[in-house]
Amino acid sequence: MLLLFETPGGFAIFKVLDEGKLSSVEDLGNVFSSPESARKMVKLKAFDKFDNTSDALEAVAKLVEGTPSKGLRKFLKANCKGETLAVADSKLGNIIKEKLTIDCVHNNAVMELLRGVRSQLSELITGLGEQDLAPMSLELSHSLARYKLKFSSDKVDTMIIQAIGLLDDLDKELNTYAMRVREWYGWHFPELAKIISDNILYAKSVKLMGNRINAAKLDFSEILADEVEAELKEASVISMGTEVSDLDLIHIRELCDQVLSLAEYRAQLYDYLKSRMNTIAPNLTALVGELVGARLISHGGSLLNLAKQPGSTVQILGAEKALFRALKTKHNTPKYGLIFHASVVGQAGRKNKPRIARSLAAKAALSIRCDALGDAGDNSMGVENRLKLEARLRSLEGKDLGRLAGSAKGKPKIEVYNKDKKMGSGGLIAPAETYNTAADSLLVQTTVSAENGVKEKKDKKKKKKAEAEEEEEAKAEESSKKKKKKKAKTEVEPEVVEPAKKEKKKKKRKHEEEETEEPAKKKEERKEGEEEEEE
Amino acid sequence: MRSPLRGRGRGEGSAMRGGGRGPRGRGPGGRVPGGRGPRSEPGGMKGGNKVIVTPHRHEGVFTGKGKDEVILTKNLVPGESVYNEKRISVQNEDGTKVEYRVWNPFCSKLAAAIFGGLDDIWIKPGAKVLYLGAASGTSVSHVSDIVGPEGCVYAVEFSPRSGRDLVNMAKKRRNVVPIIEDARHPAKYRMLVSMVDVIFADVAQPYQANCIDGTMPAETVFSNEVKKLQADELKPAEQITLEPYERDHACVVGGYRVPRKQKTATAS
Repeated sequence: MLLLFETPGGFAIFKVLDEGKLSSVEDLGNVFSSPESARKMVKLKAFDKFDNTSDALEAVAKLVEGTPSKGLRKFLKANCKGETLAVADSKLGNIIKEKLTIDCVHNNAVMELLRGVRSQLSELITGLGEQDLAPMSLELSHSLARYKLKFSSDKVDTMIIQAIGLLDDLDKELNTYAMRVREWYGWHFPELAKIISDNILYAKSVKLMGNRINAAKLDFSEILADEVEAELKEASVISMGTEVSDLDLIHIRELCDQVLSLAEYRAQLYDYLKSRMNTIAPNLTALVGELVGARLISHGGSLLNLAKQPGSTVQILGAEKALFRALKTKHNTPKYGLIFHASVVGQAGRKNKPRIARSLAAKAALSIRCDALGDAGDNSMGVENRLKLEARLRSLEGKDLGRLAGSAKGKPKIEVYNKDKKMGSGGLIAPAETYNTAADSLLVQTTVSAENGVKEKKDKKKKKKAEAEEEEEAKAEESSKKKKKKKAKTEVEPEVVEPAKKEKKKKKRKHEEEETEEPAKKKEERKEGEEEEEE
Repeated sequence: MRSPLRGRGRGEGSAMRGGGRGPRGRGPGGRVPGGRGPRSEPGGMKGGNKVIVTPHRHEGVFTGKGKDEVILTKNLVPGESVYNEKRISVQNEDGTKVEYRVWNPFCSKLAAAIFGGLDDIWIKPGAKVLYLGAASGTSVSHVSDIVGPEGCVYAVEFSPRSGRDLVNMAKKRRNVVPIIEDARHPAKYRMLVSMVDVIFADVAQPYQANCIDGTMPAETVFSNEVKKLQADELKPAEQITLEPYERDHACVVGGYRVPRKQKTATAS
C-alpha cells in the first residue's frame, strides 16, 4: 500500500512496509515515536518537488478544493500502478479513483499513519529538513492567502496618493521653471511676457525663435493666434531688451525644453491618475470627480481609512485649521473643505452651496464605503447618487426662483414688508452686481494688482481658492449693500480695506477663514470701521 | 463567544501611540532587584511612569509593575505596534534597548487566562503553536513574540476581512504562517502545517454555549465541553474562568495522548 503525503515542498509517496500494523490503530502511534521504527514502517518511494512558488500555489489551491492538479496526476500515474493509495482527503481519493483508476483508502488508520509520518518527516525524507520546510511553508501560505483574498495589485490605493502628491509637486516645479524662463528671457525681450500670458505658449515661442531678431522671419501660426503673432513681431522690432549671446540662448532653450517635457508628463500623469481612480474608486469618481476624489483619499491616508469617516467629516476634510479654530472660539465651523472643488458644489448658487456640500458629503461617504469594502467594481451607485444630487440641486434652485416669481394663480405672493431688503432683484437669486464705485479708490487697485500677480504664481489648487475667495469678497460686498443704504458707502470701505489686509496673508488660510467669515459677518452689527479682526 | 470589541482600536488611549517611545533621560543605575528586571523609563501607561519589568512565571512573558500591573511580551519587531498597543522600552545594563508590548487582558483571552492564574500555558520560546481563530492577529502577535524566531505560529482564520489584517501582520513577523481556511476542516490546510506542540483554539462556533441555550448556566456548558474533549483523547488538566475580563468564558487546558508527547489544547 502506498501513502500520499503533501508537504510545502512537494508531494511524497511512501510505501507502507508493514501493513499488518495498520489493523491496530492505537499501536500505530507508538510505532512512529522513534525514527528507526518509523523507517521500518514506511519508506519514501518517490518525491515530486514543486518547481516554483506558482507551481506550488496551483497544486495546493487545487488540493484545497479536493481535486488533483496535473502535476499530481502525472506523479501518481508514474508511481502508483497497481497499488492502493492512502490519502488524507476522501474527496480527493474519489476523484483520483475516477480519473486515474487508482484505488484509494481513507480511514482512521490512514490518519494515524499520516500523523506519524508528519511527526518524523525530517527523518523519513532525507534532504528536506525542518529549516528547508519552514520558509517554503511560509511562502506557500502567503501566496495561498493572497490567492484566497483575491489580492489584486490594481486595487492598491497607495498609487493614488503618490500620484496626486507628484501632480502637486509637478505643478509647483512647472510654475517655478516657467517663471524662470520668463525672467531670464525677459532680459532679452521683456515685451513678450506681457504679450503671451500662457506659460507653455511662452516656452514654445521662445524655443522657436531664440533671438528676437528671428521673430520677424518665423511663422508662429501653430503656437499663437494671429493677432498675438502680429503683436509679437511688432514688439520684437522695437524691443528694449539687451542682446544675449548664442550660448545663453542655448541654455534658455534647454530650460524651455524642460518646461515643455514637464508639461507633457504632467498631462500623462493626470491621465494615469484618472484611470487609476476609475479602477480603485469608481463610485467616488462618478460623484465628485477624479481630482477631488484623489485628494480626499490622499488626505485620509488610505481608502479604507477614509471609509471609516462619517459624512460630516468628509464634508470638512481639508479645512481642519478653520474647524478647530472655530470649535475653540465657539464660532461657526467651516461649511466645506476639499469637497468645495467638486463640480456639483461649484454649480450651486451661493445659498445652496453649503446644502449641496452636506448632501454631497453624505453620498460621497456612502460611495467611499462601497468602493473600499464592497465587491462590485462598477460605478452604478456613484452615477445614481450623482443624478439624485443634481435633481436635488435643481429643486433647491427652483424653490428660490419660485418664491420670487409668484404663484401660478397670477397674484404675486404677499410678503412681509422688510424695509431693509433691496427691492427689484426680481427673478434673480442673487442681486445683480452693479459697478462698485468704491473700487475706484487707489487702495483697491493695489489689492487687485497684487491679487493678479499673486494669482499667477500659484498653482491650480490655490487658484481655485483665490476664486472662491473672490466670490466671498464679492458676496461680502453685496451683503453690505443689502443693509442700510446710508451706511453702504462707509461700510464698503472698511470691507475693502479688509481684503487688502487679507491679501497679505497666506491664501490658504484665508480660504478657510472665509468660510467662517461670511456667516459671522452677517450676524454681527455693522459698526463703522470696526469689523471683526479675522486673526 | 467572541467579545465584540476585541482587537484593534482598544487599549488605553491612542494618544500615547508612537508618542513617548524610548527611555527618556536616565534613571540612576543600579538598584536592580535581584539582578534581573532592569529599571525602565516610561513610554507605557500614563507616560512618565516608572515601570519595573520582571520575567513572569511563564517563559517568554514579562510583568510590568508600575501604578498597576500589566503583562508584557518582548517585541519581535521593535518599534512597531500591531494594534496601537502601548510599548515599553527598557535599557539593559550593557546599554542595549529592549522593547516590550503591553498585552491587554480585555483584548486577548489568552492574556486574561494568564492573569487569571493559569498554571502552564505550554507556549514557550521555540514552541510550535497552531492558533485557531486568529482574527486580525492581535493575540497571535503576542504568541509570536513569546515563541520567538525559533518557534512558529500557524494562524488559522476563516474571515477574509480579518484575514487581510492577519496577512499584513504576518508580513512583518516571519514566524507567523497565515492560513485563510475553515479551522473545522484541517485537511484543507494539512500541507502547510507540520507537527505542533500546542493548539490554541478560540473559534466562535454555531453551537456554542449561551447563545443557543440561554437557560443553561455557564458552568454546565463548560463541563459539557470538557466531556466532549475527553471523548477525543484530550485529558483536561486545568480549567479557569476568564472573569473579570470576559463574561461566561472559561479556559480549559488539556493534554493530548499525554504519556510521551505533550500535545496540549486550550479552548474557551
